[in-house]
Amino acid sequence: MFDKAKKRVARRNAQHAVPPALDPEVAAREAYERDYELTKHHFEPHEHPCVRIEHLMKTFDGETQVLTDVNLTVWPGEVVCVLGPSGSGKSTMLRCINLLETPTAGHILIEDKEITGHLLTKEVNKLRQNLGMVFQSFNLFPNLTAKGNVMLGQMKVLKKSKEEAEQEALRQLDAVGLLDRADFKPAQLSGGQQQRVAIARAVAMHPDILLFDEPTSALDPELVRGVLDVMRDLAENGGMTMIVVTHEMGFAREVADRVVFMEGGVVVEQGTPDQVFDHPQHNRTAEFLGSIG
Amino acid sequence: MMSKRHSNHALRALMACVAAMVALAILPSAAFALTTSKATARPNEDGGTGVIGGIPTRLTWEGTVDAGEQISGVTLELPAGTNFNSSTTKLTALEGLKRMSVEGEVVPEGSSLKVKFSEPVGEGLLIRLEVEGMTFPEEGGDVVVGGTYTESGKEKPLQAAKPIATIANTPLQKLVDHLDNQDWVAAWNSVQFLGMFLKPQIMVTSFASLFTGWLVCLFIVIVAYPFAIILGLIFALMKISKHRLLRAIAIVYINVLRGTPLFLQIYIMFFGLPMMNIVIDNNILGIIVMAINSSAYLAEIFRAGIESIPTGQYEAAASLGMGHLQTMIYVILPQTVRRVIPTVTSDFIMAFKDTSLLSSVGVMELMMFAKNLTSVTGNMTPYVTAAIFYLIVTLPLIKVVTIIEKRMANSERGGGPRPKVKAAAEKDAQDETSSAGAEPSLAEALSAPFKAGTSVFGGVADVR
Repeated sequence: MFDKAKKRVARRNAQHAVPPALDPEVAAREAYERDYELTKHHFEPHEHPCVRIEHLMKTFDGETQVLTDVNLTVWPGEVVCVLGPSGSGKSTMLRCINLLETPTAGHILIEDKEITGHLLTKEVNKLRQNLGMVFQSFNLFPNLTAKGNVMLGQMKVLKKSKEEAEQEALRQLDAVGLLDRADFKPAQLSGGQQQRVAIARAVAMHPDILLFDEPTSALDPELVRGVLDVMRDLAENGGMTMIVVTHEMGFAREVADRVVFMEGGVVVEQGTPDQVFDHPQHNRTAEFLGSIG
Repeated sequence: MMSKRHSNHALRALMACVAAMVALAILPSAAFALTTSKATARPNEDGGTGVIGGIPTRLTWEGTVDAGEQISGVTLELPAGTNFNSSTTKLTALEGLKRMSVEGEVVPEGSSLKVKFSEPVGEGLLIRLEVEGMTFPEEGGDVVVGGTYTESGKEKPLQAAKPIATIANTPLQKLVDHLDNQDWVAAWNSVQFLGMFLKPQIMVTSFASLFTGWLVCLFIVIVAYPFAIILGLIFALMKISKHRLLRAIAIVYINVLRGTPLFLQIYIMFFGLPMMNIVIDNNILGIIVMAINSSAYLAEIFRAGIESIPTGQYEAAASLGMGHLQTMIYVILPQTVRRVIPTVTSDFIMAFKDTSLLSSVGVMELMMFAKNLTSVTGNMTPYVTAAIFYLIVTLPLIKVVTIIEKRMANSERGGGPRPKVKAAAEKDAQDETSSAGAEPSLAEALSAPFKAGTSVFGGVADVR
């Protein structure tokens, strides 16, 4: 099974003329030179990017091509905001990173380790532990309390004791300002509160990278702020590596180290918030930002 | 039922027999001057042939006077509990078919009856005592009619007759007896419909005798159901499995069992297994058939329940690094259980009702008892009673389903009781509403996202 998957990926890569993944040292050097001006984040020459996406391609049902050729590097501690019109493939790219979607071709490397194509279920689960995810629709477990939601992964995946998990859960709920709602069921919480619990749930696993899939899109405008505050705090005080797919321009401009604009399954433009928002190089970027702003 | 009552008093009967045999051994039959011909009692059971203790009946005793004897009196002695006190006795003497009136004095005295003839009864005559309105002992059993007779001034023991079998007078019998004597019952039964479907006396007796059948029904379904749930879950998981073979097995199992009548399945199991020399107790086989049949329906219910859980739940669990099995056990199944409880309860009701089909193969359950009683009494009331027994179980369960459904709909909207919020956390509630309530200016609202950590945002200083 292992070899089969490996062969299938190799065949697809060949079919789509995707070159093999770069050597880590070469990739790091190239990324360093390329990203130096594109991000506010400070990284050292000897560092390696923690996420490398090379020629990522995703086709649904063999027909609908969502991602054509995505190339992106993310450095440890960097906050990357991904913008773009709906259907541009932002969410699909994010979901490919923790393998909720299986890439059709191309390479995704986490900490210089290729995750595409030939992982065993166990390795996938291990990988996902290090990649926290926050969903647009929260996806809290409705049968558990807020505390229970934060505890479950710690107990079943990290094998923590109930007491440890509970302590950590309360700490994380406190961090998102919901300590008093620890015993509430998700249905008894507002959307904003639910999303904050979902963030606490992801953070409690102490992942290296947090993925946010339009975390505020399903929220009423007045509830968005609380969620963004929590995310801002994670970025600024937690030093967390974050990839955020969002429509919140204000948040992106203020918090992001780098803004990535995607359309039609490719990264059209990326740079620091100032570059992208104030001096967009591409017409499409300018148009999109204009229509939003 | 009757034999049971008899056996309760087998010992007493045995003792009576022994006593009779001892008497016979001591006194050779020639020594009897008065030969007992018969001692019987008229049945007083409603619609039956039994003699019930404690309820008035008629005792008939006959004895033939032997040659050369003159009987001047007879005393009947019955076991304690017999009551002659309010009885009236008719004395007759027969010579062949010729009736002769006999005068005499009758003194009822508790359990004994003294008869003194005005003139001694001569040889060859048959003395008949018909005691109307006497009652046998309430506890029932075999009653030996004994006593003495007076022959030329001397008292001699009576030859014992065949014991009279009597039935204990249960509270139920008393109630039926009571009902028999009520005017309203007679009036009620005179209406054809009421008398045929709702006859009080039969309703009372069938309630008692159907109860066992009702317990058998409950026993079968309650024992079968946990197995059905486990089997159903296994087949549900097989049906949504990735492996084609498991899926195929589950689909065949579920479709065959759901696509054929339970009646047919019962016949195949009850008549097929014995032909293969597999003999299983009827009740246990009933449990097996019910469990297998229900498991197919439950499998479909569980599968639908599992598939109704949104993919977001699987993704959320996966994103935490949980494996497939963990996700099933800790995330999906607990949610499924809540969702399927009403449907499973409905299925339980169906299964309980379907146990009635087992009567066709001789399982002694509710329907079987009702059928038997109806064929004995020729009355529909036992069926109506059976209906009431079924409803005793199903109606509350139907109510339970409605309540659960309502409660679940309510809790999914976020209703229901909430835990108390600690007072310290009120600021959070304000947080959520303040932006709507305080009405910040348009400029403020637009610029708000760009001003990190200012008072407009608030409430983040304490984070981590």
